[in-house]
Amino acid sequence: MSPLPVPLSRELGTLLSRLKLRRCRAVGDAPTVLGRVWIHGSGEVRLGHRVVLDGRTAPIELHAMKGGSIILGDDVAIEGGASLEALQSITVGAGAKLGAFCKVMDNQHHPLRGNRHERPPSVPLVIEDGVTVGSRAILLPGSHVQQGATVAPGTVISRRIPPRVTVGGSPARVLRREVAG
Amino acid sequence: MNPRLSALPLSTWMNHLQGLRNAVEPRAERALALARARWLFRSVQSVGRNVAAYGSMSVQNEGTIQLGDRLTFVGGMMPSSLVCHPGARLSIGSDTQFNYGVSLEAWESVSIGERCMFASFVRVGDRDGHRTAPIVIDEDVWVAHGAIIMPGVRVGARSVVSAGSIVTQDVPPDSLAMGNPARNMSLELVARESGT
Repeated sequence: MSPLPVPLSRELGTLLSRLKLRRCRAVGDAPTVLGRVWIHGSGEVRLGHRVVLDGRTAPIELHAMKGGSIILGDDVAIEGGASLEALQSITVGAGAKLGAFCKVMDNQHHPLRGNRHERPPSVPLVIEDGVTVGSRAILLPGSHVQQGATVAPGTVISRRIPPRVTVGGSPARVLRREVAG
Repeated sequence: MNPRLSALPLSTWMNHLQGLRNAVEPRAERALALARARWLFRSVQSVGRNVAAYGSMSVQNEGTIQLGDRLTFVGGMMPSSLVCHPGARLSIGSDTQFNYGVSLEAWESVSIGERCMFASFVRVGDRDGHRTAPIVIDEDVWVAHGAIIMPGVRVGARSVVSAGSIVTQDVPPDSLAMGNPARNMSLELVARESGT
């Protein structure tokens, strides 16, 4: 245990977290940052309240390039090695969890055909409230994971995932569909 | 003293400094990357000109590694690794780019063509525990994030290996391989939209 009284050490931890998040445009109450978080780019990064970023195993990368925005809602938890790259916008809803080494990108960076060195257009990417994304999952541009869905580890997604289903595999299939109510 | 009068030159000076920094920093990084590559690839038999390593890498060479000109190894959260076991051969063509976390391992033979692009966390290894078979990747291939190329695979020229796919069979030229196990489809037939 730390020699400091608990409220004081908690305050110090929050201060340290805010120091690590100093490049964000907005940070909510009581952020928790463990380990390393890399915030790159000249775009804007906004964090909600009580965000947990656990970059102890590998750094978390929040890369908002020029004109891009990454918006994390309240109570979002991100594990180490996750990488979010936004050229336009990535929105993560409240209570979402992103697993270790998952990749979320709203631009392919290279077109499939034609000149490989020009950027294709971005497609905004949305992760809604209460979504769980497993480790090493890949969310490609155009993904829209709706409320309460679960993405199994290692899944590759590039389209809309309906609410409250579990998807897995590559290409992604619905593994389980929870009955409403 | 008028604060506005004194503030204006200061901000222009800051802009000048920022511009100078933007002009100098990439060149300094480039020079550092070239020097780092020279040090990292000291055990490699033949290294081309202008090979740059922007981050840490682990290179373990007990066989023969051939690197072409103008290679780029981008640094990031995980170091890339090049492993060449005794008697094996690993060759990389010119103008190929590697993102961070790429792992190349040769037990027999891995050859990569010119102008390829390897995204982060790509794994190319010619032994998977069951068999050892050479891997050939032709020129202009783009291997996207997290793809795994299994032993004995030949990826044809100008093909694209989609993110997260596991390639177990040969990929013909001008095609897109995606899924686990990877299925091939012609790039001509793939829609022009940016999604896969």
